[in-house]
Amino acid sequence: MTSEVDRRMESESRTMEGPAEAPEALEAPTAQPEAAEQVVFQADDLSVFYGDFRAVRPLSMSINRYQVTAFIGPSGCGKSTVLRCFNRMNDPIPGARIEGRLTYHGTDLYGPEVNSVEVRRRIGMVFQKPNPFPKSIYDNVAYGPRIAGTRKGLDDVVERALRQAALWDEVKNRLKKSALGMSGGQQQRLCIARALAVDPEVILMDEPCSALDPIATGRIEDLMSEIKSKYTIIIVTHNMQQAARVSDRCAFFTTEVNETSDTRTGVLVEFDRTDRMFSNPNDERTENYVTGRFG
Amino acid sequence: MRDTFERELEQLRLQVELMAVRVGESLERCREVLETGDPALADAVVAADDDIDAMLVSITERAYELMAREAPVASDLRLLLSVLRVLEELERIGDLGLRVAKRVEDQPLLAANPAIFDALDGMAAVARDLFRTASGAWSAQDLTMARTLAEQSQAMDSHYQRLLAEILDLEGPGAAQVAVAAILIGRAFDRIADHTVIIGERLRYLLTGDPRYLAAEVR
Repeated sequence: MTSEVDRRMESESRTMEGPAEAPEALEAPTAQPEAAEQVVFQADDLSVFYGDFRAVRPLSMSINRYQVTAFIGPSGCGKSTVLRCFNRMNDPIPGARIEGRLTYHGTDLYGPEVNSVEVRRRIGMVFQKPNPFPKSIYDNVAYGPRIAGTRKGLDDVVERALRQAALWDEVKNRLKKSALGMSGGQQQRLCIARALAVDPEVILMDEPCSALDPIATGRIEDLMSEIKSKYTIIIVTHNMQQAARVSDRCAFFTTEVNETSDTRTGVLVEFDRTDRMFSNPNDERTENYVTGRFG
Repeated sequence: MRDTFERELEQLRLQVELMAVRVGESLERCREVLETGDPALADAVVAADDDIDAMLVSITERAYELMAREAPVASDLRLLLSVLRVLEELERIGDLGLRVAKRVEDQPLLAANPAIFDALDGMAAVARDLFRTASGAWSAQDLTMARTLAEQSQAMDSHYQRLLAEILDLEGPGAAQVAVAAILIGRAFDRIADHTVIIGERLRYLLTGDPRYLAAEVR
């Protein structure tokens, strides 16, 4: 972790002893807000295996409530794999398992008493490609609440979710029409509405805008900043500008290639406030990635 | 990867270096104007200032274009922002040099007051040395050189204080005229020193990313 930048900072700080040189008070405000955040997820030495193969090296991180956390990194760096740990979406993959510990509000997410269906109700997910069901707009949004047993007030639930997803005004007059007739951007917002309808606490987003044009992308990004006062969001994105725009904290993953076995393992390189990651990252690998000099 | 962008950034950095060379030449001439009172040299400083201004505009445009096109972050962003800041400082230094050169007609008057003349000459020498350090630090992107500028500039203060003391001691006919010329020229050298210190602090920010140096710029 001793990058060139690090060394420069160190050699620099040693010489900054004069009172006028090191205004300590300037540093304090940047460190304070983080301490006050409420932690939703805590990963300790979390790693992911497919059979015997370790896909992601042990990593530790905490995800704060009501913040947007972005995972960035090149293809194959394990960011989606790690994201899917947070609502146990890797469970159905044969041979997939985790080591280490991942807690949700202090409860072991992989503990024996934990119901994975309940996990996914509280921790919703939006995927890369919009995947509405071949049903009406209304039925897409009402799907989750119905399974959860909601019968009364369904109309209100649907309207609230569609409003939160900034879709209501566009679809309120065609709720019974097929969701497949919507544009890609609308379909993705519908999927967000569908996720919100079951009143989750966390929304995981795996490249939610990569299939969308810039205008639809802008809508989703606005939507994220609007709903983050009520939800905790983790987003995987290839678009670094998007990570810089929407996230409060940012995790950079990279790939370590083993030449002999020709395998790739994901590594968490740096996890920090987004403004720092994009202005003065600690690790040279992060700097190379965010400035586009990776590889 | 992004080889083209990297080359363009290096070009930009070099262009700032070239502009610094031009400003440095003007500062050398200013000192000669002060020593010789040669109006031809003063004219050369005036002419060079137009070139310096044109360089500022063209480099600024180029930096803006790269910002719009490449959406730079981290060290790339710091370099572009620093280029813009250093350009402004260089241009200001050039203008202050010009202010000195434009007092060419006062030179015989100042030369007739050895104590004042000596203080101004000392200030001119310190300004030149500071500028050499600042432009050298930029060329080499050298943190150590950048760091010395603030300390080195203290020499300017002592000369300036000496100049002010000498001005207060002036008496007799023509004293007011000497005082005005000496203050205007002395003040210009003093400001040049301040601007070289800003270049040093900006370079420290560029090389370390530490925002404390931004605060140091405005002190």
